[in-house]
Amino acid sequence: MTTLAHIRITPSETLLNGKVISNSNISGIYREFIGDYPKFFKMDSLCKLGFIAAELILKGQTPEQKENASIILFNRNGSLITDRNYQKTIADDNYFPSPALFVYTLANIVTGEIAIRHKIYGESSFYVLSHQDDEMMLDVVKNAYLTSPPSFILTGWVDYEDEGNYLADIKLVTK
Amino acid sequence: MGRVMITKIADNIISPLGCTSEENFRAVLAGETELKKQEDTFGLPESFCASLFNRDNINKQLDCELGHVDNLTFFEKLCVLSAKKAIEECNLSPRETNVIFILSTTKGNVECLEDSLSDQRCYLAESAIKIAKYFGNNNSPLVVSNACISGVCAQITAIRELLSGKYRYAVVIGGDVLSKFIVSGFQSFKALSPELCKPYDKDRIGLNLGEAVGTMILKAGKPSNEGDWRYVASSIHNDANHISGPSRTGEGSFRVLSDILKDISVDEIGFVNVHGTSTAYNDEMESIALHRVNLDDVPINGLKGYYGHTLGAAGIIETILSMKAIENGVILPTKGFETIGTSYNVNISNQLRNTDKPAFVKILSGFGGSNAGISYQKGGKA
Amino acid sequence: MENLILQLKNQIIEVLNLEDMTAEDIDAEAPLFGDGLGLDSIDALELIVLLEREYGIKLSNPAEGKQIFKSIASIADYVSKNRKK
Repeated sequence: MTTLAHIRITPSETLLNGKVISNSNISGIYREFIGDYPKFFKMDSLCKLGFIAAELILKGQTPEQKENASIILFNRNGSLITDRNYQKTIADDNYFPSPALFVYTLANIVTGEIAIRHKIYGESSFYVLSHQDDEMMLDVVKNAYLTSPPSFILTGWVDYEDEGNYLADIKLVTK
Repeated sequence: MGRVMITKIADNIISPLGCTSEENFRAVLAGETELKKQEDTFGLPESFCASLFNRDNINKQLDCELGHVDNLTFFEKLCVLSAKKAIEECNLSPRETNVIFILSTTKGNVECLEDSLSDQRCYLAESAIKIAKYFGNNNSPLVVSNACISGVCAQITAIRELLSGKYRYAVVIGGDVLSKFIVSGFQSFKALSPELCKPYDKDRIGLNLGEAVGTMILKAGKPSNEGDWRYVASSIHNDANHISGPSRTGEGSFRVLSDILKDISVDEIGFVNVHGTSTAYNDEMESIALHRVNLDDVPINGLKGYYGHTLGAAGIIETILSMKAIENGVILPTKGFETIGTSYNVNISNQLRNTDKPAFVKILSGFGGSNAGISYQKGGKA
Repeated sequence: MENLILQLKNQIIEVLNLEDMTAEDIDAEAPLFGDGLGLDSIDALELIVLLEREYGIKLSNPAEGKQIFKSIASIADYVSKNRKK
């Protein structure tokens, strides 16, 4: 597999292709580099993280290349951060279930947000693993070519625990 | 074609309609359903229509068949029992290193958040590991968390793992149990119908939810018997449109069907088993996609009228029932359908129909704008 | 009514995550959906929750929402006539 680009975002720094481009938090990165997508603020934290990672790594890809790309992402927490927030809206004594939160109680929504923004019509998949298992992730991504070869695959780890603890480690790969 | 064949060697469904695939098929053939109005359930203020396990009965059965397994939740025990039955059916040795476990679920043990927001049982991968370990399997399992299309995606993931040559067998389990969390969420979306759902019908107003678990065991290798099921084609595409509403042009489903039709002739297809959730938008979108690929005249059917939408289980149990239908030369009725209410007059019916064709296509769509499809054929050449 | 309109503007900015917007930025008569603020179907559902949580108004039929949620002014009008809180 060939890596076309690589981005790594943590609370302390953002590295694009090995170079530090920011030390901001997620919203800070959005304002500094993107800024033209009000829907960003409706997303939950996992989606915001995946969104900014995708935005930065997909710069330079043409619409034609993006149309047939695939998005295959992994994490350990699933959508737990939002699951907990949603659970709070269904407390017995304060029962007001929030649809805007409920829709984000599925980890794969991050792949959907990326697909919508970049008009990616290829595969969008999400897997939950017990830990960041690079070998397993690489297998899953290589194997995607066995049934449906994409133009390239946006893939990697995107996990959010809290504002001091998150990681997007995402690559654009091709066979 | 020159590549490895993938064969289905065993399956199981556990649902409110029965604990084997055959029991479930017979129940559906008899028009049965456990979909009913649920009042004062899960501590919800609003009633809803769903097909639920009788927890007392099923727990007794789980204890009886699995023995006392302290460390497994209700959801995990259901998955284990379903897999156990399928494994026994084909005499698989699940602890072998050439066996991989793949779990399809949308919310797993989310009901545990009621007890505690930091409940460790909510990590989906931990559930999959516990299930695999029950069978003595030490390979890292995969959890497919792709909303409602997970069941088909899990099959596709399994097929890829087998095609890669790394594994010989894949135990694909799909399941979800309902809870205050899940039902309240769908209620907040105003997506539920208070009555029995009506797929593709002009009076459809929403979906019903359901609980079930299904297992398919796939093998890399030729069918052992003439009538065995083999994998033909599959596809996953995103609508790139909206995170909860389907594309108005059915773009993702259209691309999925287009891909699959490259590898199978329409003449071989007995029916397309659709998602058919009975929401205004889903069924309309599917009819548009079917029309765009000129499948208006091919019979279609939907099974949500028997089970409701079983989320992570849907792709698995609806594929298994489709296989059983072809084996019995029938197209199962679309329970709840009466009068067509989609833009295109697709070939759907609430009557039992016959077919002598050897193949079917299963399609699904889900939150996140994802769409998936898979096709299998009974017997025949590569 | 002016107070209610201001209150609604602030509540909507909060529940719909309209970052970078203040009450002054929103015209009470401007359409909320379609062109105006570009709200979508999920926003409409959240507005239904807002009405119940803050004003005790239960909308049994979401289709009613279309008329009620046309603009902040139309919401204020509906709330003032139907509020239970």
